[in-house]
Amino acid sequence: MKRHGIAFKLALLILSCAFIIVAVIMGYNYYYSRGIILQQAQTNAKSVAHETTSRIDSVLSGVQKVANNIALSMEDASLTKEDILELNKRVLANNPEIYGMAIAFEPYFLESDKLYFAPYHYRSGGRIGFSMLGDPAYRYFYMDWYQVPKELERAVWTEPYNDEGGGNIIMATYTVPFYRTMDGKKVFAGVVTADISLEWLEDMISDIKLFKTGYAFLLSRHGTFITHPTRDYIMNETIFSLAEELGSSQLREIGRKMVEGDRGFTQLDKTRGAEDRYLYYTGLEYGGWALGVLFPKGEMLADVHRLSWIMGLIGLCGFFVLALVIIYIARRITHPLTELSSAALEIASGNLDLKLPEITSRDEVGDLAESFRVMNTSLKTYIENLTSTTAAKERIESELRIAREIQMGILPKLFPAFPEREEFEVYASIEPAKEVGGDLYDFFFIDDTHFCFLVGDVSGKGVPAAFFMAVTKTLLKVVSERGMDPGDIITKVNGDLAAENESCMFVTLFLAIIDIETGETRYANAGHNPPIFMPCGGTPKWIPPFGEPVAGIMDMMEYSTKTMTMAPGDIMFIYTDGVTEAMNQEQKLYSDERLMELLTNMKEPFAPKVVKAIDESIKVFAEGAEQSDDITMLAMQFMGKCDKK
Amino acid sequence: MDFTQTKNGDTLIVHVAGRLDAVTTTEFDAESQTWIADGNIKVIADLSGLEYISSAGLRSILTAAKQLKGAQGSLAFCGLSGMVEEVFSVSGFAAMFPMFATVDEALAG
Repeated sequence: MKRHGIAFKLALLILSCAFIIVAVIMGYNYYYSRGIILQQAQTNAKSVAHETTSRIDSVLSGVQKVANNIALSMEDASLTKEDILELNKRVLANNPEIYGMAIAFEPYFLESDKLYFAPYHYRSGGRIGFSMLGDPAYRYFYMDWYQVPKELERAVWTEPYNDEGGGNIIMATYTVPFYRTMDGKKVFAGVVTADISLEWLEDMISDIKLFKTGYAFLLSRHGTFITHPTRDYIMNETIFSLAEELGSSQLREIGRKMVEGDRGFTQLDKTRGAEDRYLYYTGLEYGGWALGVLFPKGEMLADVHRLSWIMGLIGLCGFFVLALVIIYIARRITHPLTELSSAALEIASGNLDLKLPEITSRDEVGDLAESFRVMNTSLKTYIENLTSTTAAKERIESELRIAREIQMGILPKLFPAFPEREEFEVYASIEPAKEVGGDLYDFFFIDDTHFCFLVGDVSGKGVPAAFFMAVTKTLLKVVSERGMDPGDIITKVNGDLAAENESCMFVTLFLAIIDIETGETRYANAGHNPPIFMPCGGTPKWIPPFGEPVAGIMDMMEYSTKTMTMAPGDIMFIYTDGVTEAMNQEQKLYSDERLMELLTNMKEPFAPKVVKAIDESIKVFAEGAEQSDDITMLAMQFMGKCDKK
Repeated sequence: MDFTQTKNGDTLIVHVAGRLDAVTTTEFDAESQTWIADGNIKVIADLSGLEYISSAGLRSILTAAKQLKGAQGSLAFCGLSGMVEEVFSVSGFAAMFPMFATVDEALAG
């Protein structure tokens, strides 16, 4: 996966949110304004339509009134032919909206010898023309405009028609039947007609402009186009024929509603790739006509679309500005972090003297930089301390090692120690624990025939124990003089040690002096664990302790001396508790029993062999467990007086 | 190491359990410091729960005893057995301190 920085993530997140917000606002705005515009367009179309229809209706109603009045006056039987002609002409002159007017009587009605009586006054080139309708080729009483009102017994508007005789203009005629009373009966007398040119209608309706290409049209009672911007439709097409041609059932339905005089607002189905359009239609009061107002949706919504575009553009600009700002801020935050990060990496690789990047911003990043600086300083101090501490520790350890070497160096290590002596064999070993301990052993001649050997164990560990051990060993060597009993020696050493012993250090001691000619052995024990006496060919046994306390604590203590005799081949084995208390991994002790068993079963004991065998046995037992205490052993074997002398 | 203190009159009885060696002497030293700090100078240490004692442990006991003695107090032991008893006897500690078989005997003095 590709790794993206904080700047990228921040920008992505915020910009996504901003985009969604802008999109929601724009979407809502679009739909809301669209609704308003649609409503306004509808209202607008309605008011235009109603204004137009009322204007048309007022004209038509004027014409109707005039015709009705004439028809009413025609019921007066006293009117002469001249009166009728005069009335006809005058009315036409006074009513400019009327194109022509006829007063047509029933055949032979006015004059019994005249088949036709139908005066017709009409406008022609600014003058008023006159003609008498009716001749064998034009028997007017068979015409629709005559027959329809007669049969229906009410006034009607004819379908608009092209008046081919009168200058090719579209006309509509209002015909009113009139009656006269003859022999007490009301009989049909004729019709009064008023023609109106529909040219003014066309002018009026073509003036109606809705948006850019919106227009209005007028339908007759039968759905014929009376006016339409497409002039070919006028009088040639009906809305139904158009619907048939377009195959639109919706248009047919609208046409049906329009000729019935309904009102409505509807969106037209898309036909022949035309754009979405809205239609408002309403019936007229007179003539059975209907007005339709049509306007394209696209134009209607053009403003909304433009608004949306502008909003979108502003949104986009804002978006980019926001993006730049976010990236700028994010960079400002992450730049110091990047610097800190690389600085941290370099510091981690050991360059503590690296100059940290200067970050002065007073914010969280600034705090981080400050913490980082403090960390670096502390780290430096810490490492300096650690370095010096380690150096000091190493120095101390090295000194301790040297001290240990010196401590071990004061013990006799060369074996066989007295190769020229055949009267005895002495062997000792010390296995120091990791920490400096306080075990000691020693052997030396006090005079030609008296040989002193001893083992001691200073309490505790470390430098104090080592010191105490060295002091003890030195004192013992110095104090041991000719003729002194072991008890006297320990008593004297104890006194010296206890005199200035504030720290309660003490030492256990077993010290023996053997007469190498006789085998007589005198010994003393200051709190030391009992040695083992191995008689030649006999069973080993402990040399019982006297219960006298360790040396170094009670300065007035007197230690006693005991005497025994060693026969040739006998071995005295002295050891410290490091032997019997050696532990294995399970913290089990090596134990007295194990030691005694080993010695009991040993064949042909010999001093060095005894020590080495036990040493080996302890190592096997410990199974590599860390040694906690010094392991010190000394075996003294008496061989007897050398007979060679 | 575990230490349990009980009081009988003006005598403090401390039951010591575990191993007293070079590692645990610091615990014992810290414990013995509290005795005098709390004003207890007559102390009986019940060592029946003590499994092992090394020479370093003996030194800690000695130090404690010396401090109690300096404060005109006393330290007695009871309940010793096995290896601990042997160490006490071999090292001569059994001769240096009042030793008793049980706490009751130690209280009786």
